[in-house]
Amino acid sequence: MPRPAAGREERRFALALFLPAFLLLVATTTLPLLYLVWSSTQRIDLTMPWLSGFAGLENYAKLGADARFWQSLQLTLVYTGATVVLQVAIGLGLALLVMQVRSGQALLRIAAILPIVLAPVVAGLFWRSLVLAPDFGIVDFLTRALGLGSYNWLGDPQLALVSVIAIHTWQWTPFAFLVLLASLAALPPELYEAARLDRAGPWQRFRHITLPMIRPAIVIVVILRMVTALSAFAAIFAATGGGPGSATEILNLYAYRLSFTELNIGYGSAVATVLLLITLSVAFLLFGLRRAR
Amino acid sequence: MKVNGGRRRVLAAIPALAGAPWIARYAHAQGADLGAYQSAKVNWRQAEGETITVAVIPAGYFNALEAITPEFEALTGVRVRYDKVPPGQIRQKAILDLTAKSGTYATHAADPMYYDLYVSNRWIEPIENYLGDSKLTDTAWYRADDIIPAWRGANSVGGKLYGVPFDGESTLQIYRKDLYDAKGVKAAETFDEVVRNAKAVHDPDNRVWGAALRGFKGAGQNMYIYPSIFRAFGGEWFSGGAIRVNSREGVAALEWYVELLGKYAPPAVRNWNWPDLADAFSQSTLGLYIDANTSASVLNNPERSRVLGKIGYARWPKGPSGKRVSSIWNWGFPVNAALSDKAKRATWLFIAWATSAETQARTSWKNKGTVKRLGLNRLSLWRSKEFAGLAGGLGANFLQASIESMQNDLDVDWRPKMPQWPAVGETMATAIQGALVGQQKPKEALDEAQARIAQILKG
Repeated sequence: MPRPAAGREERRFALALFLPAFLLLVATTTLPLLYLVWSSTQRIDLTMPWLSGFAGLENYAKLGADARFWQSLQLTLVYTGATVVLQVAIGLGLALLVMQVRSGQALLRIAAILPIVLAPVVAGLFWRSLVLAPDFGIVDFLTRALGLGSYNWLGDPQLALVSVIAIHTWQWTPFAFLVLLASLAALPPELYEAARLDRAGPWQRFRHITLPMIRPAIVIVVILRMVTALSAFAAIFAATGGGPGSATEILNLYAYRLSFTELNIGYGSAVATVLLLITLSVAFLLFGLRRAR
Repeated sequence: MKVNGGRRRVLAAIPALAGAPWIARYAHAQGADLGAYQSAKVNWRQAEGETITVAVIPAGYFNALEAITPEFEALTGVRVRYDKVPPGQIRQKAILDLTAKSGTYATHAADPMYYDLYVSNRWIEPIENYLGDSKLTDTAWYRADDIIPAWRGANSVGGKLYGVPFDGESTLQIYRKDLYDAKGVKAAETFDEVVRNAKAVHDPDNRVWGAALRGFKGAGQNMYIYPSIFRAFGGEWFSGGAIRVNSREGVAALEWYVELLGKYAPPAVRNWNWPDLADAFSQSTLGLYIDANTSASVLNNPERSRVLGKIGYARWPKGPSGKRVSSIWNWGFPVNAALSDKAKRATWLFIAWATSAETQARTSWKNKGTVKRLGLNRLSLWRSKEFAGLAGGLGANFLQASIESMQNDLDVDWRPKMPQWPAVGETMATAIQGALVGQQKPKEALDEAQARIAQILKG
């Protein structure tokens, strides 16, 4: 008899521990999201208050004909794809390299954390004013020293997109690096011994042992990085403001601009909701893939 | 008991501590002479005990106002709290407060282009309600007509004033007199001459670029300069009641902008706002830029400027239409409609005090602090002997160019006045930058902006 009673007490205690955090999460994340979805079905344009009212799916129907939306969506996909691939590739490369380093690994790990702890808005400003600025920036100094000429990295539409991808990659590759380094360090050395005895070359060992073994870590990194990249905002906002023109205006920035600069909150909410749905489906899809194995 | 007594004493001390800064400010005001205000036939103490919050941007001219606000508190018994919001966010914060009708900001430093939006939402009240009430305003003392007419026009909707200009500026040509003299050229009188002068002094190998204008994207950045060019080229924002941004004149104006910056400006200019321009000019790397006359105080900062004594000023050149068109910019104070009646009266007293000739002078040449404001709201003050003493050292022709510009070159239709301005201004800013960086041809950029604006206005 005492066991179920103790169980109930345990459960009650667990609930008491869990509830405050849960309620806080509901209040700070779920409710605003529901409000967002509700706003997206309303006509709320502060510049034309006389039009306010229920809009149904009208805001979503408008997306089809909005060229800026499609351009932003395309930019979001390019930005997310490029940053994730680069982060995993560079992160894995660095991790493999650092595995060979016998001493001083701890120091490298600390150095790797530095960009991550910067607020993205600081990273954006830092790159904008110190790294990429024409004439004064480090990159411009290097390209000029190498005889490659001076470029206006954030002022040219194509270069600006490359630049914001570089900023994001710079800031978040260390995350991929640290996770992959940890999972590489956990691989059993016996497997490699056995493979060497079977005369497997370095590429074969990498392809048939390392990659399959760290696959779960790679998938987790891809999921987390994709979700972050899809919702990126502050670094781009600080570095280019979505410009020049609209060359780096990913969906998040477009939704922000619609809601808070153009004051069309209903339509801005619809764009944000679409981004939310994309992010959720990407996450579900990848988690599904992970489970399938 | 002993413990309790101790706690009570501590509790009693808290309000005293909280009040201490105010007492210190009050004490400072005791020494000030309030006679200039008390001569007004109005009961300054009618809203005594009220506390109001005013949102301003962190800028020298508002700091100067804040510094003498204890005088207002001593005069009226109204307490004022300032909330400093960076210029990039003040519009959004004010709108957030106005939509919520929370009355947090009794008044705020408002962008003239936002009055149509505020009024169509009935968020603010006509200033007439206060100016016309003899219990609230002594018209003979306040002299509202003395406030620069075009600024009042910019802050009016349907002929009614909604915000009182506190500080403002007009845009002028700011050029390197020494370089111009060396090349034997004079300040441009026409748009072609701007290009000619830029070409004459352009020498990028020695780090001098011919000319620059704001290129950064934003309604208050490139869309602050472009409208002057647009109007000078003869552009009209509205045709047949509908907004039209891609007219022939609009395209010609944008082509001129693109060509000037493309040929004679430093490459980074497309991301530059006014502080970047002022820095570049101070560092002796620009021959000319056209920007706010109030930048003169930055350009004459002896610690940072390398162009002291080499600066000249001139009005905007005449455009192909024969017009010179300056910006109309001012930070005005509206009255939040969500306030209680007493708070509204307190707010009006604050606005009347801040925009009165006396306070304008006390934040300018009478100011003992380091910042002596230039953007005064009354032409009578601009013409005063005291102000001339202050403005004399800023460079050749500063005072005359400023006054002539404010008298003749302010054009109330400088930018399209409409509630949808936030969206229209942003769309135009994006189009202009798209053209400046070569993402699109000027005509394409404006056609696209036109299509997008039409879509926005459809709702």
